[in-house]
Amino acid sequence: MLKRKNFLLGIILFFMFQMLLIGACGDSKEGRKSLKPSGLRFNIVSGSENKEIEPFIQEYAKKEGVSIHMDYMGSVDMMLALSEQGGRMPYDAVWPANSIWIVLGDQKKVIKYAESILRSPVILGVRKSIAERLGWTDNPIQVADFLQAARDGKIRFAMTSATQSNSGASALLGFLHAFAGSPEILQTEHLENPVIQEKIRALLKTVDRSSGSSGWLKFALVEHPERFQAMINYESMIIEANQELIRKNQEPLYAVYPRDAIMISDSPLGYVDKGDEKKEAFFRKLQKWLLSEAVQKRILSLGRRTGLVGINPDMADKAVFNPNWGIDLKKIISPVPTPSEDVIRKALEIYQVSLRKPSCTAYVLDVSGSMEGKGIQDLKNAMATLLDQDQAKRYMLQPSPQDIHIIIPFNSNALEGIQAMGNTPETLNKLLSLQEVRS
Amino acid sequence: MKKLIGPLIFILVALIIGIWQFSGKDEIIRQYKPPKKQTLSLYVGGEKMNFLNNARVKAILEDRYGIMLNNSKAGSIEMVTTLSVAGKDALWPSNQIAVDFFRKRGGDFLSEQNIFNSPLVLYAYDIVADALIGQNIVELREGSYYVIDFLKLVKLIKEKKSWKSIGLPQLYGNIAIFSTDPRHSNSGNMFCGLLASMLNGGKPVTDENLAGVLDDVVDYFKTRGYMEHSSGDIFKNFITTGVGAKPIIVGYENQLVEFAIENEKYSDFLRKKVRTLYPIPTVWSSHPIIALNSGGEKLIEAFKDEEIQKIAWEIHGFRSGLMGVENDPSILKVIGIPKEITSVIAMPHASVMEKIIDVL
Repeated sequence: MLKRKNFLLGIILFFMFQMLLIGACGDSKEGRKSLKPSGLRFNIVSGSENKEIEPFIQEYAKKEGVSIHMDYMGSVDMMLALSEQGGRMPYDAVWPANSIWIVLGDQKKVIKYAESILRSPVILGVRKSIAERLGWTDNPIQVADFLQAARDGKIRFAMTSATQSNSGASALLGFLHAFAGSPEILQTEHLENPVIQEKIRALLKTVDRSSGSSGWLKFALVEHPERFQAMINYESMIIEANQELIRKNQEPLYAVYPRDAIMISDSPLGYVDKGDEKKEAFFRKLQKWLLSEAVQKRILSLGRRTGLVGINPDMADKAVFNPNWGIDLKKIISPVPTPSEDVIRKALEIYQVSLRKPSCTAYVLDVSGSMEGKGIQDLKNAMATLLDQDQAKRYMLQPSPQDIHIIIPFNSNALEGIQAMGNTPETLNKLLSLQEVRS
Repeated sequence: MKKLIGPLIFILVALIIGIWQFSGKDEIIRQYKPPKKQTLSLYVGGEKMNFLNNARVKAILEDRYGIMLNNSKAGSIEMVTTLSVAGKDALWPSNQIAVDFFRKRGGDFLSEQNIFNSPLVLYAYDIVADALIGQNIVELREGSYYVIDFLKLVKLIKEKKSWKSIGLPQLYGNIAIFSTDPRHSNSGNMFCGLLASMLNGGKPVTDENLAGVLDDVVDYFKTRGYMEHSSGDIFKNFITTGVGAKPIIVGYENQLVEFAIENEKYSDFLRKKVRTLYPIPTVWSSHPIIALNSGGEKLIEAFKDEEIQKIAWEIHGFRSGLMGVENDPSILKVIGIPKEITSVIAMPHASVMEKIIDVL
């Protein structure tokens, strides 16, 4: 008995000493928590132009045992969401097309580690035969040339909405700059100048398709090439479109770089800081991986300009950055200077309420019994977001004086509808109160 | 008794091993008294983020000083003027003037100490530097580094000369130096002070003679449009968007050093393509830590650490702000860095800068 007791005592004493030592020395190591990402859920909101890169990201996520969910949203919409929600955004990372949208939206300073993953200039893609006919394949053009061709009916073009998407906003700012006579910088007085406004309106009138996002616009063009003659989009989207058009035996687009209206998208990926160390550590790893040489090469092969320095990668594949499509990687791209934050905000506001092509929107609303309670309340809130000027303004969805609104409520049958034009409070309230009566 | 010998020996052995282990590590244990851990929150100018994210720096802070950092990047000016400092332990701007601004705002702090210095420089792409050499505005000194005559450059800008007129038709618009927003960020703010002094014929602007140059300063910045809010951002944009977008920018000397060391495989490319131009005269950017509480004061002590100071120079290019510390450029893997910065002009007084910022 005693033997065993002593034996046990010895063992206990031995381990007590050991523990003492481990306890004292191990402290600093223990302090560093395990930041293994496996099992993590990570949400990214991105411009739709990054869709082709998602498979890379999912591949990495799988390797790390992380589940990544990507939502797509226009960059301007992202800016508005960021400024409304800050750290309450349901996303862990934002990936707009231009860092200016993070600067404009991140008043609450929740974005960390934003780094440009790739670059692509916003340019004009014109069906090659049309570009040749207009002489745009040989000589650099200016916005004025483009406007003249549009006015003369020689070209119709599509673009994204300036108040939703970066490429649309970039194009708008480029046009404004050109119509203001290429000043040193675009300023508020230029925006308020009725002559300049009229020119922009005339140009935007010739837009025959407008879309909320750059990726969707490319998709629409590839689906129905016969309906498009030209689009304003990223060089990368023009390359993607061309790859698919060639596959479908269709005529490719020719990349035209208007000298006085180019903007470069720098596509920054930034972390939304909500104080989650694991997510932060994972984000940094993901970003580092995206910026690694191997992955940058793969992104380059998709028609994005990558590499750490500059926008003239020398290793690019000529089949992707195809000179026959007007793409020239040697050319220095000198964008017009970006106006100040106030001017950008003002330009977007004027676009939404006065410059853009007016819209005619029909809302067909379910007000039947099944919608009772939360359903009808959500519907009302949604309509208020669209038609209450104050709320709409927060998302840059304000109706313009020329917009036409049609509301048709229905239950088992169509109910009496209403049609109204304009954006005065009376008109909009009338539209909103209609739902009140019906529901 | 005999029966007990075995276990007794065993206990003895255990004790001896235990004591031996204990005493063997005794010294380490006594030396290594783990400091109490604390996480400190601070606002930091973007140019120091890489330094603060350096794993070695983090480890030294944590292991030797028990400090873990929660850094929020903020412009040096906004952190001492408009941003709320509630919950922060320290502010780390990149300009001594920020301390004055903070004091003026009525901000409470325990102490402040300058940690690093870095001269304001210009970064230009090769074709731009070459064109300026052609105009006798830039010259190579001692065969190793470039200086730029700031008065001459400002004259070209004031005359609204285009890039085309100095032989760069590929670049859009008039000659301009891209800087951060003087209202938000320090490098832009210092550049603004330097520009004002150049417009004043090369002498620091004072409250008395400000009126004579104010219009020109305002006109210059009004025609810049969007300016980045942080020095780190403008440098990154300079590098990533290329010569067409940003031909020449204002930055800190340390930025290229840091970038080149972090991205060694690009160092040849950078050497060929990017030039650091030392303005004559230039201004010093100091990096004072403003301690808002005792935690912030601990941070000041920690950043005086010899090894941290060494890493700061060798990896991140910050010259020491402490007395008696020398910085040898031959250690750096980057060329074109002079040992000493000799032509330095004082920044205009805080009250002058405030008057300028107010009207921008």
